[in-house]
Amino acid sequence: MNIKQKLMCTIATGLIATLGMSQMTFAAGEFDGQTLRVKFIGGAQYEPLYALIPAWEEATGAKVEILSRKNHFELDREIKQDIASGLVDWCVGSNHTSFAPQYGDLYIDLNGLVSEDVLADFVPNALASSTVNGRLVQLPRHSDVSNLYYIKSLFEDDDNKKDFKAEYGYDLLPPETWVQVKDQAIFFADPPNFYGTQFVGKDEAITGRFYEMLRAEGGSIFDAEGRPVFNSAAGVRALSWFVDLYESKAVPAGVPNYLWDDTGLGFASGTVALNLDWAGWASFFNDPANSKIAGDIGIIRAPKGSAGIRTGWSGSHTFSITKTCETPEVAVSLIEFLTNYDAQMTEARTGLLPTRSVVWDDVVTEFKAADNAFMVDIFKTYKLSMAEDAFTVPLIPEWIEVSNALWPNLQAAMIGDKTVQEALDDAADLATEILEDAGKL
Amino acid sequence: MTTISLKFSSAIQSKKSMPYLLILPAIIVILGVVLVPLLFSFYTSFTPFKLTKPDSLFVFIGFKNYIRIFSDMAFWEAFGRTVLFLAVVINLEFLLGLGIALMINKITHGQRVLRTIMMFPMMFSPILVGFQFKFIFNDNIGILNNALQSLGVTDQAIAWLVDRWLAFGAISFAEIWMSTSIFAILLLAGLFSMPQEPLEAAQVDGCNSWQIFKHITLPFIMPFAFIAMTIRSLDVARAYDIVDVMTGGGPAGRTELLWTMIARTGFDNANMGRANAMAYVSIILSILFTYYFFRKIIAARKAMGGDA
Amino acid sequence: MKKFKKIANWLATFAVMLIICIPGLWVVLSAFRPNREILAKPAVWIPEYLSFDNFYAIFGGGKALIAIPVPAYFINSIVIASTSTFVAIVIGMSGGYAFARFRFKFKNSIFLGLMLSRTVPGIALSLPLFMIWGRIGLIDTKMGMIIVYTALNIPFTIWLIDGFFRQIPKELSEAGQVDGCTRWQAFWKIEFPLAKSGIASAAIFAFLTSWNEYALASNLTRSTDSKTLPVGLMDFTAQFTIDWAGMSAMAVIIIVPALILTFIVQKHLISGLTFGGVKG
Repeated sequence: MNIKQKLMCTIATGLIATLGMSQMTFAAGEFDGQTLRVKFIGGAQYEPLYALIPAWEEATGAKVEILSRKNHFELDREIKQDIASGLVDWCVGSNHTSFAPQYGDLYIDLNGLVSEDVLADFVPNALASSTVNGRLVQLPRHSDVSNLYYIKSLFEDDDNKKDFKAEYGYDLLPPETWVQVKDQAIFFADPPNFYGTQFVGKDEAITGRFYEMLRAEGGSIFDAEGRPVFNSAAGVRALSWFVDLYESKAVPAGVPNYLWDDTGLGFASGTVALNLDWAGWASFFNDPANSKIAGDIGIIRAPKGSAGIRTGWSGSHTFSITKTCETPEVAVSLIEFLTNYDAQMTEARTGLLPTRSVVWDDVVTEFKAADNAFMVDIFKTYKLSMAEDAFTVPLIPEWIEVSNALWPNLQAAMIGDKTVQEALDDAADLATEILEDAGKL
Repeated sequence: MTTISLKFSSAIQSKKSMPYLLILPAIIVILGVVLVPLLFSFYTSFTPFKLTKPDSLFVFIGFKNYIRIFSDMAFWEAFGRTVLFLAVVINLEFLLGLGIALMINKITHGQRVLRTIMMFPMMFSPILVGFQFKFIFNDNIGILNNALQSLGVTDQAIAWLVDRWLAFGAISFAEIWMSTSIFAILLLAGLFSMPQEPLEAAQVDGCNSWQIFKHITLPFIMPFAFIAMTIRSLDVARAYDIVDVMTGGGPAGRTELLWTMIARTGFDNANMGRANAMAYVSIILSILFTYYFFRKIIAARKAMGGDA
Repeated sequence: MKKFKKIANWLATFAVMLIICIPGLWVVLSAFRPNREILAKPAVWIPEYLSFDNFYAIFGGGKALIAIPVPAYFINSIVIASTSTFVAIVIGMSGGYAFARFRFKFKNSIFLGLMLSRTVPGIALSLPLFMIWGRIGLIDTKMGMIIVYTALNIPFTIWLIDGFFRQIPKELSEAGQVDGCTRWQAFWKIEFPLAKSGIASAAIFAFLTSWNEYALASNLTRSTDSKTLPVGLMDFTAQFTIDWAGMSAMAVIIIVPALILTFIVQKHLISGLTFGGVKG
């Protein structure tokens, strides 16, 4: 190699390095005139992030056109239609770890496109659950896991302590097990004015709640061969927990129609004693403008089931890039921007759980500096539960379909149309059929 | 323009082709928008077509989808509930619409305003009606339970959208609220066109108002009622939007209608092939309902001396 | 005594109307109230706080982070609903005239076939339509929606207009033709003016159907190029929350134009339906 060649090489590497750098810092007008068509998940908790997009647009010269902004169930329907008709004329889509396996090869593998350096900053678990068949089909934006909120004053009240001890034979303390939650919920309930607890009662939400309870009871959805086995003794114990609470009227009668907003608003209205919920509601619960229990909220790690395992159904909201995207480099730039340090800090400040390791610490430092002991508590609790308790749903394409076979049966047991065993057996039969149809069994 | 109208005029001269020419545009549009897609979905009902697997469109599985749904109890339950739902809402809409039309017919002052008010629910998109009643019937913060509790009627939080019959009642109520106006307006039109002589003659003969209603008014407006029923049965499937938002067919399938079942199977589970097999059953059901009322109209038209 | 009865009937009717209106008026009232008041428990019966905030928020004012593109939806809805109504009326007039004035082979079967095409549930039609529209590039276009709504409205339009033309004595047009008019001229000068209110009532029904349709539009539209107002309502639902106050404000934006239009054509509506439809 002569000097000239060497020189050329150096220049070339230099150029590449500069290019690499410029992608990090967004050389002004780098993507001038490009328009990125995107489909994002919508909603109050998600949209503060999108308010940052104009900064990216200004820096890169590209434009973002948000085609859809709806909840993920609606988005899912739209994406499936797009796949069916071969009309994927957009680049970036919001995705979720539970839904992603369904979409086949719609989304490209981000390994190699997003640099190793960037990926190294993410929580390894979050990346692992974003990977389907060895392909990193999505970049996690924030994660969910649920822990237990409770109204502090109820547990500090001396009459409550005395009465509870007399009735149940043990001290009234924030619960450590789900059996205790049940006892306390029944103890506190005074329908229709006050309820012991509540849960989301339909769609994938109740499937997830049942699934984590099943794990906590030592059961599982599928066995090693992928056969549905949730109609086991553990399954019966898990579902009975929900059924017993419903039948004892310790939860609102409407829970079979409840979704996340119903439980969140219900707890904020001060009419529910214990509430298993995600961190995204934390600042809302503690805001006197929205919540009647602000300042009176305790948080503990999700309790344990009879197997000694804590519930920890978890998933991540993510961004994916379609294989038909003509400008993947622009798309990568956008999703890196939306998951970068500043973006995650923005989301973490509202209580969303970051997927970058360092943000966990920095946001706690920030809350400490602001004397916000409540949010410090929240992040400490959720950090522990993300690290030790969190698990995802089975990452198979048929999951949503299995869930749709499962949840109407869970409801049927709750409202007394079927016994717990019947409901689980029926659901297991349907799930087996689904997996057979898919050629998995 | 002149050539077109000339051509048109010359076509008019040939009397035989003329009517076909006139209905041709209608037929072309219907073929393109309804028939062709239906043929396509008919084909897919014989495939295991999954939205997320476009290749499955080309696999033929015979009657498997149909056998599957016909042996599924949940499907027959939804089928039966849909028939019941149609029967209940159409009959109640007729009765309520008739009552409203009779009342408004008697009023001479401010009728125009009243008629507009009567049509108020027709301005509501079905999807909006769904959300509206989802909130009204909410067990915890719904305005209905709040009102009942404030008035002291009950101290319970009635789970309108959970109880088997209350939930069915709630979705029927929403549908009836949205569509009674159509009956009322058509029946009112019927009342307006009624000749006055028979009424006066009957009064002279000493008939009471119930007899007059039963023997003169009702037979006269029945054809209008059949028209309204036909129109309604043409697009009852609009109720899908309402039910989907209010209950999504739940809980535990208690408000599941064929349409919500089709949507979940086809879109959420991506089993479009099987969903289209169900859709065909629901289409046949709609056709039967419509055909039934349609025969009645033809009969009524003949009875009134027109040619059908 | 008679006067008393009249007043009683008027009051009774007014009460019934009120009952009909309450669920709808609740939506309208919600448009001017904050969420925390609408969905409060215990209920806030007398509004403490009324404002246009929800409307500002829709257009991106106040606390809203992203404006909902209501002007675009509004224009789409107007263009799609009025064009499809107009085309459906033209096609319906031509078809209705044929059914009313001619005897021809398969007349009844064709008529019934056209009517039955309307019974196909939107949900059954939406996916096959989506796939075909996708192939020919009509997805997410106003044209695509106009064609669909035209087809949706043709059956009912033909029916009403058919009934209306039957009502007009054939002899009128024949007399006109004897006087030297062509059939075409006779139609425009004699029959059409008489059929006006029937056509107006068919038009208002067609317009309301297109204006409020959701099932098909939610599948066939994708962006502000073609999204209509009812589809825009879903912008207020999110993963964890439904912004009912915002949705109500949007609902008012949808309802008011339809209500005004209905009030204007009110007179024609009743007379149109009276003579159309039944009498042969």
